[in-house]
Amino acid sequence: MQRFLDPAVLAGISSLDLVAKTVVDGFVAGLHRSPDFGFSQEFAEYRAYTPGDDLRHVDWNLFARTERCYLKRYRGETNSQLTILLDASNSMEYTSGPPKKMDYARFVAASLFYLAIHNQRDAAGLIVFDEKVRDILRPSTRPGQLGRLFAALERAEPHSRTDLAKPLHHFQELLHRRGIAIVISDFYEDPRSIVRAVEPLRYRGNEVILFHVLDPQEIRPVLSSSAILVDLETDQKIEVVPEYTKTAYRVKIDAHVESLSSQTRAAGMDYQLLVTDQPLDAALRQYLALRQERN
Amino acid sequence: MGFLAPWFFGGIALLSVPVFVHLLRRHVAIPRPVSSLMFFERGIQSSTRHHRLKHLVLLALRCALVLLVVLAFANPFVRRVAADTNGRLLLIVLDNSFSMRAGMRFADARQQAIAKLAAKQPSQKAQVISLGGQLQILTQPISDAAQLRSAIERIQPGDGHAGYGELGRALRALAENVRMPIDVHLYSDMQRSAMPTNFADLVLPANVTLDLHSVANKIAAGNWTIESLDAPAELSDPKDPHRSRVRAVVAGFSTTAASRTVSLVVNGKTIATRKVEVPADGRATVEFAPLDVNYGFNRCEVRVEGGDAFSADDAALFTVRRSDPQRVLFVHSSRDTRSPVYFGSALTAASRSSFILQSVSEEETTNLDPSRFAFVVLSDSAALPSIFEHTLAQYVARGGSIFIAIGTSAARRSRIPVWDGSVADTRDYARLAGAVNVGEVDFTHPALIDAQPGRDNGGWAEAKVFYAAVVDPRGARIAARLTDGTPLLLDKQVGQGHVLLFTTGLENLTNDVPLHPVFVAFADRLARYLSGSERLSGSRLVDSFVQLRAPADSASEHGSVEVIDPDGRRPLSLSEAKTAQVQRLDRAGFYQIRLANGRAMLIGVNPDRLESNLQPIPDDVQRLWIGSASTGDSLAQPAPAHKEGYRPVSLWWYVMLLAFITALAEIFFASRYMSTQREEI
Repeated sequence: MQRFLDPAVLAGISSLDLVAKTVVDGFVAGLHRSPDFGFSQEFAEYRAYTPGDDLRHVDWNLFARTERCYLKRYRGETNSQLTILLDASNSMEYTSGPPKKMDYARFVAASLFYLAIHNQRDAAGLIVFDEKVRDILRPSTRPGQLGRLFAALERAEPHSRTDLAKPLHHFQELLHRRGIAIVISDFYEDPRSIVRAVEPLRYRGNEVILFHVLDPQEIRPVLSSSAILVDLETDQKIEVVPEYTKTAYRVKIDAHVESLSSQTRAAGMDYQLLVTDQPLDAALRQYLALRQERN
Repeated sequence: MGFLAPWFFGGIALLSVPVFVHLLRRHVAIPRPVSSLMFFERGIQSSTRHHRLKHLVLLALRCALVLLVVLAFANPFVRRVAADTNGRLLLIVLDNSFSMRAGMRFADARQQAIAKLAAKQPSQKAQVISLGGQLQILTQPISDAAQLRSAIERIQPGDGHAGYGELGRALRALAENVRMPIDVHLYSDMQRSAMPTNFADLVLPANVTLDLHSVANKIAAGNWTIESLDAPAELSDPKDPHRSRVRAVVAGFSTTAASRTVSLVVNGKTIATRKVEVPADGRATVEFAPLDVNYGFNRCEVRVEGGDAFSADDAALFTVRRSDPQRVLFVHSSRDTRSPVYFGSALTAASRSSFILQSVSEEETTNLDPSRFAFVVLSDSAALPSIFEHTLAQYVARGGSIFIAIGTSAARRSRIPVWDGSVADTRDYARLAGAVNVGEVDFTHPALIDAQPGRDNGGWAEAKVFYAAVVDPRGARIAARLTDGTPLLLDKQVGQGHVLLFTTGLENLTNDVPLHPVFVAFADRLARYLSGSERLSGSRLVDSFVQLRAPADSASEHGSVEVIDPDGRRPLSLSEAKTAQVQRLDRAGFYQIRLANGRAMLIGVNPDRLESNLQPIPDDVQRLWIGSASTGDSLAQPAPAHKEGYRPVSLWWYVMLLAFITALAEIFFASRYMSTQREEI
């Protein structure tokens, strides 16, 4: 568990403010500032009484001193619900050097969990899936939730192959409240089918973010000679020549990333490519900065 | 080309490593996992040949690297001329001693020396030395091959006796003067008889390396020679059975027992022949008597007939001069009647009719011409007539010799005639201690010469001296002393002649020398020395010297000398004939010489018989000699005489340099082909 609590990583993330794109319904004050005023303990301003205002909000002490009727207003706070969908298929086991894509995904998820629970007091949950839902941990703010989430991440060893469509309905059932849904995967599927599978989450008012985790060798593979490549999920083998990896493959992977990015953004979701040789905090910071700019 | 450590070639087995890696292991393809084959397409290597070629280049480089490392450890070398480095002096020593005349030895040695010279690098300096009776440096250290070759071609076989000890001393002296390493190549027949008695004479300095090039066979061929000769140089009576004879020793080297015929040749005619049985590797004596020769000089030769492997040493030359008996003038005081008797008796007993003693008293010498006598004896003559004394002075100056015996009259008149000095003191031992004996005797002096004096001090030990005069010995050679240090016999060069001074008398009053047998031998040697006749004929060894004139002689006062060598040529120029004092007899044969005092001499010159023993130096001694030089490697050479003047030059550094370059090329190609390719962004 300790590897998920790397202070250096967490300190890097804590230095940024996680600003939610939208203020979801919630009432617990926090760092997610709402444009609405509510009933929290944080004082916001005084406003002159106008007929029809709720007399419960009149500051009678002030009226007694000044004989003027003012309403006392407080800044409302909201709670967010973070749910991470972690792809634990065999393809996530690939690595050209530490860390594996699966480990990298675990780091990202754990960092986000810690940020959400420890700093923001948000409810956090986890769904581990491959071609089916393998583990579910409902979002909660109960004490020990962070530990349970970490334990679930530990258990999430890669199996089988990826299929986003099958676990989708389970995911929709779990999201009763609007929140932030983050899908961490290598997304080795057609971008249209990915968007099609994830897009229903957006309809229910969730903010959906896709973290596309790839190894550097998957973006710019290097072959010194022709080699036999084995698919980690299907065990299919083909011989590939170096010239192909230098030309056609790169075009295809670039097109795939671009297509997935454009289609997710077009669907109102966010997309972020995470390469495993990039620093973990730098990747999150880049994403959070991007979110902040959009707000 | 060769290898100093060929067993390292076992490392060639390491070639299997790159061969395995490239040709065997490369066919084993390890599948490479990927996340998905979604974006991959099946492809066939389109440039298999190029791909394989690249790897074959790498394979070749790796194989070459292994081979070069193995080759470097095997330490290859090439044979190069020993003195191929310009920083070394090539010293060619060509033996031209008498033994090199045997067979084709000298021709072979000279040919090898020329071949060695031709193989030297043009810029390398070389020097040529001939090793014969005398070691002659023929050139300075030069690099002119033509001049060096000419110097070698000018060397002719000589008649001298080579000595390797002299070579060792010369090389040590040369090494001190030449500030560079010296590679000495000795072309010789490696005679055992040329070795010095002390092996330390052969030790070479550290910067000198020696290569021996033997031109002799390992097993010496049989050789006969006249090892020694006993013949009279002067003969007065051919019928004298004691003197008129020739005794020769025939020696065989590496020979079996055989009967040999020995001939005596006089003036070109064989006058006698003897057969003698010579044992294996042994000696036999043959005698020819009487020796009947003509008046004057006779050229004689004793020859071993039959021939052998070395025919040049089969004959021994000598000359015999036949003359009438010579007169000796014996001047004594009128009171001395004993000395003429003793001396005359001794001279007659010794020289056997060669000398006739004419005894006169001091007063009778006025009108005598001493030049008519072989020599003059002054016995206790303190008061010579002045005219005779003057005549004696001139006689000595022109080459005459005088023997002066100081008797008891020295106490009365201290002046010594002709001798430039006087009596400083007299010692009457009879009154003091009774008598003294003869102490130190210089047995190298011609009047006292004795090759092997015994414990009796050459016969002088028993002689007692009762009375002696003390003279100033300055300018004189002291030939004998008494036991108290008083000079007994002194020899002084006066002009061309000699004056011998006997500080006691010739009678039995001042000493008892005339009563001992040594007095006869002394009288005989004294007469021959003073008369000089013994030196005018006989035989000598090659490289001995003949004194042509006295050291103090002035060319303006006396005539020039004349030397005719065995070939009939005159080796001295006209200017040299006026100034030369000695002549080296460097050729075998008859030398005809006219001395500065006008006397003629004819002598036979023979090579040193040590040259007749053709037995070579054993190989282990040769190796020991080479081992005394600086290079320890030469000691390990099994046959240094057959090294042909080449030395191994290691190629280790060159091979390692090549291996290093190959390693760099391998790293370059391997990094280019095998490393992870980075994509340009």
